[in-house]
Amino acid sequence: MIKLENVTKVYPGAVVAVKDVNLEVSKGEFLFLVGASGSGKSTLIRLMMREELPTNGDVWIAGKHASEMPSWKIPYLRRSIGTVFQDFKLLPTKTVYENVAFAMEVTAKHRSVIRNQVPQVLKLVGLSDKADRLPRQLSGGEQQRVAIARAFVNRPLIILADEPTGNLDPGTSVGIMRILDRINRTGTTVVMATHDHAIVDAMQRRVVELDRGRVARDESRGIYETRKPEADAVKAEPEGTIEPPVDEPVEDVTESEVDEAAP
Amino acid sequence: MTSVAYMIKEAFNNLSRNALVVLGAILAVFISLTLTFGTLVFGEIVRVNTLQWAQDVRVIAFLQDDMTPETTAAMQNEIATWPQVADVFYVSKQDAFVEAQVLFSNDEAMLRVLDESPDLLPASIRVQPADPEDYDLIVIRLESTPGVQTVESAGDAIEAMIALRDGLQIMFWLLAVALGAAAVALIANTIHMAIYARREEIEIMRLVGASNAFIRTPFLIEGALEGLIGGALAVTFVVVAQQLAVDRLSELPEWINLTIHNDFILRQGALVLLFGLGAGLLGSSLSLAVHRTLRS
Repeated sequence: MIKLENVTKVYPGAVVAVKDVNLEVSKGEFLFLVGASGSGKSTLIRLMMREELPTNGDVWIAGKHASEMPSWKIPYLRRSIGTVFQDFKLLPTKTVYENVAFAMEVTAKHRSVIRNQVPQVLKLVGLSDKADRLPRQLSGGEQQRVAIARAFVNRPLIILADEPTGNLDPGTSVGIMRILDRINRTGTTVVMATHDHAIVDAMQRRVVELDRGRVARDESRGIYETRKPEADAVKAEPEGTIEPPVDEPVEDVTESEVDEAAP
Repeated sequence: MTSVAYMIKEAFNNLSRNALVVLGAILAVFISLTLTFGTLVFGEIVRVNTLQWAQDVRVIAFLQDDMTPETTAAMQNEIATWPQVADVFYVSKQDAFVEAQVLFSNDEAMLRVLDESPDLLPASIRVQPADPEDYDLIVIRLESTPGVQTVESAGDAIEAMIALRDGLQIMFWLLAVALGAAAVALIANTIHMAIYARREEIEIMRLVGASNAFIRTPFLIEGALEGLIGGALAVTFVVVAQQLAVDRLSELPEWINLTIHNDFILRQGALVLLFGLGAGLLGSSLSLAVHRTLRS
């Protein structure tokens, strides 16, 4: 689904953000990108969404050679990628419903499709009753759920999340992770850059650790650090997969699909 | 909502969000194109009224009807040798008929008379003096030339009208170009502000895979609308002003004809609208090309 071959990214001023990274992410995989600030996590996410071009190496996304792609084709590539950010990036003057519908409107989806899909995805993230609210009337966690709904509403193959829980308290973060986990169980590949030890440790999914732009560790069921600092033990959730959200499953995210997609 | 409807709606939203700046840009296009169109209309009025005096002709000798082609040619050759003469043209009866149809295009009675007797107007020899101040010498020599019926020279009014047209045209064109550039810059600025105001929205549009055309087209439509509205106002203004001049200046000498053909208004008006559209598209394209938010 995602393949990076010998990828190096050097920013102006000879700042090496990513160095010789080789990484392959399969369809339906859930991958945590971890590492200290400045280790290259966000750069890697930006390379995967074709927001940046590698200085060297090749990036393949959803079977497309993204690093060689002409700029006019990028929008079509992005339709197979959903993105979630720490700062939510919601439009303050649009309601929850409109924010989610916006992602479909701008890709010229038919109105009837929008009317059908948006309520479904709002139900998935547990915001059906807040569709008419403006972002400022929501909590941080709710705003992030709107952002996830917007990222998922076009049913992308990949969700790229850059510190989606960075602005949220631990309890709220768990809710966000449940939704991402649920989306992943529909077969959507999820790559998430995070600093959140507790979440990584609790979910026990594939972990790729970056250190000064290089892949320092790649474990199929890893934790944030091999030796967890004492201070973080307080924050950590009990080990094991985070439970699915309490909402009823939406039409196209049925339990059977979840079973099939589950690794 | 279809993409086209969405893009048009967004263009109008942008116009209303930035009403004051948009008004400034439209006014700049309006003033620039009013000068341009005004210059064209004024030039046309002068052209029609000085049709006989085109190509620097300042003296016209109307010939007697009994002149043969040979004697006419001999006379033309003879006049061409005069030291005061730069050039000589022969205008046949047929040419004079065609010219009169333009000159009297708004005088139906005259046109009827011309149609009934196309031979009515005499042939003429038109003289371009080497030095405009020598025209009186040429008049005297022509008057004593056999075969010449009457001689007319360009009066002071014609001279003044032509001089005014030439002077004003240069000034108007320069102003029109300067204001046209200002209009393009102002449109570019309004689009720049519209893009800036919507930068978050654009960022999200790009993230979710909106095509470049989908993102950019509303801004192009906005610029085009600003240019078109300015152009339409300019055309309306000049046509109304010209009509008012025709109605109010009824005391003018009969030979001054201020009316303009509908054909001219339609043709040049459409051209002015196209200029407005072009200025709008150019301004918005410039802004779209340089704005960082829209770079892939």
